[in-house]
Amino acid sequence: MSKCIIDGREVEFTPGQNLIEVAKKAGIDIPFFCYHPGLSVVAQCRMCAVEIEKMPKLQTACSTVAAEGMVVKTKSPRTAQNQKAVMEFLLINHPLDCPICDKSGECDLQDNSYRHGDLYSRYTEERRTYLDLDMGPVIQKNMNRCIHCTRCIRFGDEIAGIREMVALQRGNNTQISTVDGRALETDYAGNYADICPTGSLTVKDFRFKKRVWFLKKTSTVCEGCSRGCNMEIHQDANVIYRCIPRENMQINKYWLCDEGRFNFQYVNDENRVVAPMVNHSVSDWGLSIDQAKKVLMGKKIAVLVGSDLTQEEGSHLLEFLPKHFPGSPIFHFGTPGLNTAEKDGDADRILKRKSKTSNLHGLEKLGFQGFDKMPKEINAVLVIRGGRAILPDLKGLVAVGLGVFMAPQVEEFSVILPGTSFAEKDGTIVNYEGQAQRIRRAILPPGQCKGLSEVLMMWVNSKSSSGAA
Amino acid sequence: MLIEKKKGILQELYLVEIIKGLWITMRNMLFSRKVTIQFPEERREYSERFRGAHYIKATNGVENCTACMLCPTVCPAECIHIEAGERPDKEKYPVKFEIDVLRCCFCGMCEEACPKDAIKLSNIYEMSTTYREVYDKSFLLDQRGGK
Repeated sequence: MSKCIIDGREVEFTPGQNLIEVAKKAGIDIPFFCYHPGLSVVAQCRMCAVEIEKMPKLQTACSTVAAEGMVVKTKSPRTAQNQKAVMEFLLINHPLDCPICDKSGECDLQDNSYRHGDLYSRYTEERRTYLDLDMGPVIQKNMNRCIHCTRCIRFGDEIAGIREMVALQRGNNTQISTVDGRALETDYAGNYADICPTGSLTVKDFRFKKRVWFLKKTSTVCEGCSRGCNMEIHQDANVIYRCIPRENMQINKYWLCDEGRFNFQYVNDENRVVAPMVNHSVSDWGLSIDQAKKVLMGKKIAVLVGSDLTQEEGSHLLEFLPKHFPGSPIFHFGTPGLNTAEKDGDADRILKRKSKTSNLHGLEKLGFQGFDKMPKEINAVLVIRGGRAILPDLKGLVAVGLGVFMAPQVEEFSVILPGTSFAEKDGTIVNYEGQAQRIRRAILPPGQCKGLSEVLMMWVNSKSSSGAA
Repeated sequence: MLIEKKKGILQELYLVEIIKGLWITMRNMLFSRKVTIQFPEERREYSERFRGAHYIKATNGVENCTACMLCPTVCPAECIHIEAGERPDKEKYPVKFEIDVLRCCFCGMCEEACPKDAIKLSNIYEMSTTYREVYDKSFLLDQRGGK
């Protein structure tokens, strides 16, 4: 291993690493705005400039590759002077609207201003202001807050694969905008808000909902497709406010698609069925389980298992179903027209997969069969799903549902037993590469919703005889 | 060991002591300044820094508050509840601003944290009610006539 010296400490590095990464590994923070580990290096904010011995001028740490024997000073008076000056320049045109801004609390500009900036502003002239155009349904733009780091431009170009953000004009008049002021087209627009170091690009869905310092974070995995992107659920008082990507270099790097980002919305949906329903009206658990057994009694039953269930739930069902529904065929379902793991593939060149459920590959490994079409003699179905698997057409069959259902779906079912979504349970899901990952419970189930294992126990212990013939 | 006091005839009668005691009472009753006031008719003046009932300051009829949530963040009693919203003339404003006064401990930290000089503690101290009062936004704005 090669070694260099940062702030008097000997730090090991692998050749090719830049100074920001090397310093980070040693626990030394170099402030920066335009640098992002997932994007190309442009070195235009100048915030990360550090003093290097034998070099006459300060060097930007993001664009300087560490070399053997390099002596770097990140806290020297010259470095600090530069950081203070850069902060003052950036804050010349930055409005003091942190009380309004959604970014405050997790804002790079705020943090670095606090750590490296001056307490007072010497600027008395009028600040530059812009009129803002609409940027589509995901992102809210406020150009006044922009510091021209161009992270968004590079993200669109390098990651999203669409050059839709551009810098117009030059110097003090620079304006970051979309091409011809069009709305954003990419399916990864939420990342623009994540990488923006100021509150210039924020998520519309989260706008003014909550200040970020109130949010409790739970590390979990997205259930939007079979990629299994790592993300964080942010909740307060049992309400999920947003999801943001979590770094995982093997799977999703730093990104998350909009479908996965806003997938959580059904969890708090007011249409969600949160109490057991018998014949479209609210009932209690005991009665509805008895009713479910009665409805299924003596029928030819098929069991449909949503491929959004976890491995644990899958293996519970593999023990439960053959005992209580002997001879009934068991299928997994999730995405229409995609009933085996082999048919799954990349839906785009970035993250999205064709399978719109998270655990298709895991359930297949457990031995579930894919659902193609309903066998002929079947006249009743038991549907067990999370919140994401898309229901096949049940064609007037007698149906019992267990899991997350919305009010419009109630019509199709004789009995609905409300279950838990991905945010309300712990478990393991297996992505398309066979990587098993943990999902964690972020909030408590709403209303009378119960976890699958609890419902199965109630089913086993309830007095009336088992459902199947 | 007890020391026995010798008592004369005057001490034996207690008359002088009673008169002495009565004199103190009479002196305080008749010749000293009164401490109490006739409350509803007379009112005591409190300093401007007194921490009484809350109000939201308004400038030209628009509330100063921008729903930045610093007061509920700093509030040790967790008695402030704000919901933020957007309207054409103001980017961010409080749709709901409620103070659960029964929980409030009148520490004045909200006033101190407020960057917009919006939430203030007045010197209104008559706050007794016969129900569990929650100050809502319109009450807080009207508290001082919308000023």
